[in-house]
Amino acid sequence: MKVGVPRALLYYRYGRFWEEFLTGLGAEVVFSRRTDKVLLQNGLGHVSSEVCLPIKIMAGHLEELAGQVDVIFLPRLMWLEDKLYACPKMIGIVDIARMMLASAAPVGQRDGRVRLVAPKVQGSLWLPHFRAGMELCHDPVRVVRALARARRFLPAHDRVPDFPTGEKRVALIGHFYNIEDDFISRPMVDTFTGHGYRICTKDELPGSVLRSRQGFARKIRWVYERELYNAFRFLVDKVSGVCVIVSMGCGPDSLVAEFMREEAQQRDVPFLQLVVDEHTGTAGIVTRVEAFLELAERRRARASACRLKIGGQGKAA
Amino acid sequence: MKASFPNLGYDTYALKTFIEDLGAEVILAPPTSRRTIELGAMHSPELICMPYKITLGNMLEALELGADTLFMAAGARKCRFGYYHYLHERALRSLGKKCRFIPITQYSPLEFVFKMMPDIFGVSPLRVVRAVAKLLTKSRLTQEFRQYLNRKRATDFDGAEKVKPKALAVIERAHTLGQIEAARGEVRRMFGVLGTVPVRGQSPGTEPQIRLGLVGEIYFMIEQFASQEIEKELGKMGAEVVFERSLYRHIRHLLFSDPAFVRSGRLAHRYLEESPGGEAIRTVGEAVYFRQQGLDGIVHIFPFTCMPENIALEALQKLSEETGIPVLSLSFDEHTSRTGLLTRLEAFVDLVKRRKLGRRLHRN
Repeated sequence: MKVGVPRALLYYRYGRFWEEFLTGLGAEVVFSRRTDKVLLQNGLGHVSSEVCLPIKIMAGHLEELAGQVDVIFLPRLMWLEDKLYACPKMIGIVDIARMMLASAAPVGQRDGRVRLVAPKVQGSLWLPHFRAGMELCHDPVRVVRALARARRFLPAHDRVPDFPTGEKRVALIGHFYNIEDDFISRPMVDTFTGHGYRICTKDELPGSVLRSRQGFARKIRWVYERELYNAFRFLVDKVSGVCVIVSMGCGPDSLVAEFMREEAQQRDVPFLQLVVDEHTGTAGIVTRVEAFLELAERRRARASACRLKIGGQGKAA
Repeated sequence: MKASFPNLGYDTYALKTFIEDLGAEVILAPPTSRRTIELGAMHSPELICMPYKITLGNMLEALELGADTLFMAAGARKCRFGYYHYLHERALRSLGKKCRFIPITQYSPLEFVFKMMPDIFGVSPLRVVRAVAKLLTKSRLTQEFRQYLNRKRATDFDGAEKVKPKALAVIERAHTLGQIEAARGEVRRMFGVLGTVPVRGQSPGTEPQIRLGLVGEIYFMIEQFASQEIEKELGKMGAEVVFERSLYRHIRHLLFSDPAFVRSGRLAHRYLEESPGGEAIRTVGEAVYFRQQGLDGIVHIFPFTCMPENIALEALQKLSEETGIPVLSLSFDEHTSRTGLLTRLEAFVDLVKRRKLGRRLHRN
């Protein structure tokens, strides 16, 4: 049995876990190919033009998989601990996928429809994954064993990374499915690293930081937005600039980025908000990032000049 | 206390009566206009959805008229509506406005009656219950008014527009329960509706050519200005607009007594297994229901980049694909051009009319 996992959205967090789990069930796991222009173009035809870029990309991945596999494995994340919801589109993408697969069964495969296995994650990962596993292999012992083996591939960071002084750092704040998708984030990442900056993202921070309920974060009820905001709060005074990647049409980001912008302004940290969609050109992004880095550079120079003046008692990085 | 709140279409009057019942003076925001939207958009984040911009504009205009307390509804978790009030409050503070800003959280009727309202207005819970009862009656009246208006527009547009201000004045004046009942009779008389149950096809000339179901995001369903008065435009083109979502229904839903809500969930399940938040389930459920009722088409309206409604849009496309009912999805923001909108509506109404006429010819 071939089980397909689209290389989009939650794949970037749970991909390894799912791979191990599904292999443990005796399935052959097929990932869709890495996002590229063609794949995105294919996806555009299946969803409305107003949804955000990651959803369009997801549609492309689903389309690619539909022709190759028997089952598509696409868990539906409703909420995680503390009743923190996923965004409406992430919840709805499973329904979109179901409707897509029903209507767009590829030519020559109309009889053998692709089955969609979508465990509904509410709070805990285990029970829904167990049920999904039972759907796929009917052997409870094997499912439990596969889950136990896959467990260590769950993302877990418990160590706060080091922030040595004198290093040039920039915070890249954005959803993991945007930042880890090379198709979206390559131009920014390359420009930053090309200028000798270390990129700090939220995914290297420990869970205790990301899930903090201090301050405004307590009021954010979207699971990944709370992580973004906490990461921002944690990183903002450790970096020389904050760059936020927002996909056009992302509802939660449009709000939370606004709060971040205000806070960055108050703390006098350079702030860049990049809005990406399928029409975003590399050149435009690179120009903006370079201009932003120049600004950050000048601020740094000014700050260190100040520090020298008052006898090296500046704000510790 | 000089209270104010963002406009809510015809239901503004119902809300006004509600707050007056609780003993506060109400200053209505000026009718929503281009200026409102521009004012709101100027102080809003770039990518936020349109209801935020309009409501902020309404509040700013109300403050100009001397309001000192602002009420704003607050939503639940999955949709951006649940976060409006944080941003609203920040925007008002950063503009240096001195006012009390009170977000009214929904979804907890008991807290609303026994804690929130008594705390704010210093009244007894009993009085709140009475005020809510009156709010229900009055919003039911505005809902009825809208139905009659839409029906009359489809056959006698000029006549309907002539009656509209008079009927609205009657509704606005009605304060006590008795007056509201009297106003109901008056409105019915004005629109020539006989009996308690509106009868369809009383005489040959009064049947509209086509009937379209209007579904979508609740603010756009209620506040006519937001959707550029789409009901009026469709009426002008000879289509009766049938709708289900209204403030009355919404309050019933909040009081756990709206059977249509359960029905929508049941009907939508084929397309959406889980609620993606907001009103997507209702939108889809109502569309399916309208199709079962034999309506000729569905018009779906929502603010640009609305998350739940974009999911609903996919479901409606699927519904259209499966059953053949024409669906027109329209998203609005402050840049939506009126001409473009009218062209699309005209083309859609034309299509629906042709389909219906063609089917009739075929049958004969």
